[in-house]
Amino acid sequence: MSERIAALIAEVEEDKTLEEVRRALDDGADPLSLVEALREGMSVVGEKYEAKEYFLPDLILSAEIFKEAIALIEPRLKSDSISARGTVVIGTAQGDIHDIGKNIVATMLRCNGYEVHDLGVDVPPGAFVEKAAQTGAGMVAISGLLTLAFDAMRDTVDALAEAGLRDRLKIIIGGGPVNEKVLDYCGADAYGKDPSEAVRLAEKHLG
Amino acid sequence: MKVTKLLYPKDTMTAEERLQAAINLQVPDRVPSCPFIYYYAAFHAGITVHELWSEPKKYRQAIDGCYRDLGPWDVYYPVNPLRPELYTFIMPMKARWPGIDLPPDSICQLLEEEIMKAEDYEWIGELARKIPRLTYIPFFMRMISRAWDDVDEDARGYVLMLSRLVWNFANWRYDFEQMKKRGTTVLYGFLPEAAFDTFSLARGFLEFSRDLKKRPRDIARAADDLTEGYLFACRLICAIMGVKRVEVFVHRSSTDFISPQAFRELSFPSLKALVEKLVAAGINPILHCDGNWDMNLEALRELPAGNCVVQFDGPTDIFLAKEIIGDRMCIMGDVPADLLALGSPTEVDEYCHRLIEEVGRGGGYIMGAGCEIPPNARSENVKAMIESVVKYSYYHERRETGPPAGVAAASRKPYGEKNGPFAREAGCS
Repeated sequence: MSERIAALIAEVEEDKTLEEVRRALDDGADPLSLVEALREGMSVVGEKYEAKEYFLPDLILSAEIFKEAIALIEPRLKSDSISARGTVVIGTAQGDIHDIGKNIVATMLRCNGYEVHDLGVDVPPGAFVEKAAQTGAGMVAISGLLTLAFDAMRDTVDALAEAGLRDRLKIIIGGGPVNEKVLDYCGADAYGKDPSEAVRLAEKHLG
Repeated sequence: MKVTKLLYPKDTMTAEERLQAAINLQVPDRVPSCPFIYYYAAFHAGITVHELWSEPKKYRQAIDGCYRDLGPWDVYYPVNPLRPELYTFIMPMKARWPGIDLPPDSICQLLEEEIMKAEDYEWIGELARKIPRLTYIPFFMRMISRAWDDVDEDARGYVLMLSRLVWNFANWRYDFEQMKKRGTTVLYGFLPEAAFDTFSLARGFLEFSRDLKKRPRDIARAADDLTEGYLFACRLICAIMGVKRVEVFVHRSSTDFISPQAFRELSFPSLKALVEKLVAAGINPILHCDGNWDMNLEALRELPAGNCVVQFDGPTDIFLAKEIIGDRMCIMGDVPADLLALGSPTEVDEYCHRLIEEVGRGGGYIMGAGCEIPPNARSENVKAMIESVVKYSYYHERRETGPPAGVAAASRKPYGEKNGPFAREAGCS
């Protein structure tokens, strides 16, 4: 059953995946094994996206299926049954409300076992600092599509440094216009071109 | 009114002649410049975007300030909706608007929400059967009524929108005449979104992703159904504006958004039909191709030669594009937003010089920013971009090197390889 769920989400079959998850839960399947199957399927989606076999609609829809399936499974999970690989605080920089890329990265990180605190869009630097301090996050991820977001990204990096958090966490940035030059300007640690790269950066820095 | 003034001492063509020669793949006296200034004008002038887009006098002063400080340039790119609903008349999405629900010095931001329902694909088919040439208006009235509270989809709403459109068009006409008096020509008379991409915006990308999976034929059919209505709107508004060129936004058809297969099967057929009909009507289409088009360039060869412009914003390898479609289409762009915001004038100058040498080879090129000049561009960088055409691009002074466009397949970069440190992934400033 787990194999079928992994295959269905890997094929981005929304209705069939959810139907199969419901059936598995009704049959008393182990919720953790279902989560694992969904993660497995999502990693296939990520591989196909990198191989240019899948494109953004597949990524977005599979992320949505994952969220919907997890919502079905969650009530059956014991709160301490999943141990996170690390904690990431994510949000779109202040002044920018674009969230397609940020949402995909948040879901992909969750799929890969990270605890993700998504602050949403138009996030002031202080909110990043507050959440990073409160959760003890090892990574802060800032997204932005507008060039106007560059200054907000830099302000967020500066605010994390002023709060004394800079040395204990990694800061990654991403979004349409982000590149090496923007990275230098903002003073973050790394940037990701796509969601898979964000996951790789998390694996590199958080394990 | 015709453009008659020459802009620079060495010019032998007017800006209009230069632009049209580039579009027709002839060799003009030099490369025309079209810097895509709108939000930037507000920041340059020290006014808010709210003022820029709600007070025509301040808009004119801001554009004039840029022209005086950074120009002259050849081609004016008009983007100044005087009301938020007029933005939705082109891009059917909910928006947050400077001075209304955003700080007045912000730029407009679009919301990825569903304002078009799945059943509207079928409704568009019904509209096309009843009033094929008039589909644009009722479709966009429905979208506007769902995006904004003060416009309803009834007779009063139609009258309200018509009066706002007339107001906007009257201001446009006045602006166009002022530009022409100073020797600058106007890029387009109207600027619709391509039909397929319209649905991608109006459905919101999550729902549209579902549609691509569950009802792809409905999308393609509805896009076909809108073609006659789009054509009629373009012809009518271009006639009113006195400019026989149309900017067709293709925001969501690159491989940053959909697969090459989806582009070929679902997006391209209606785009091609619209382009062919526009050209047949004597209107030059300018395709505003955001995102990475490397894998879709071959398809563009099917569009009518010597009549179309394709505008890139950075992620597409514009040098590869010159090789693949340079003998069929004029290319415009693609000085990237991050280079204009964070680079130095020397870096901008070098990149523009390369564009002129390689993409401008043999004509068929228009210098411009990728998508638009970002609000936080450095003025000296914008100036370097505009000046580059005067420094480097007079064709009679140039010794052309390299193979002609369209025959250099062996030297093409592989797909996906970016053209330098300033290539971008997707989107506008």
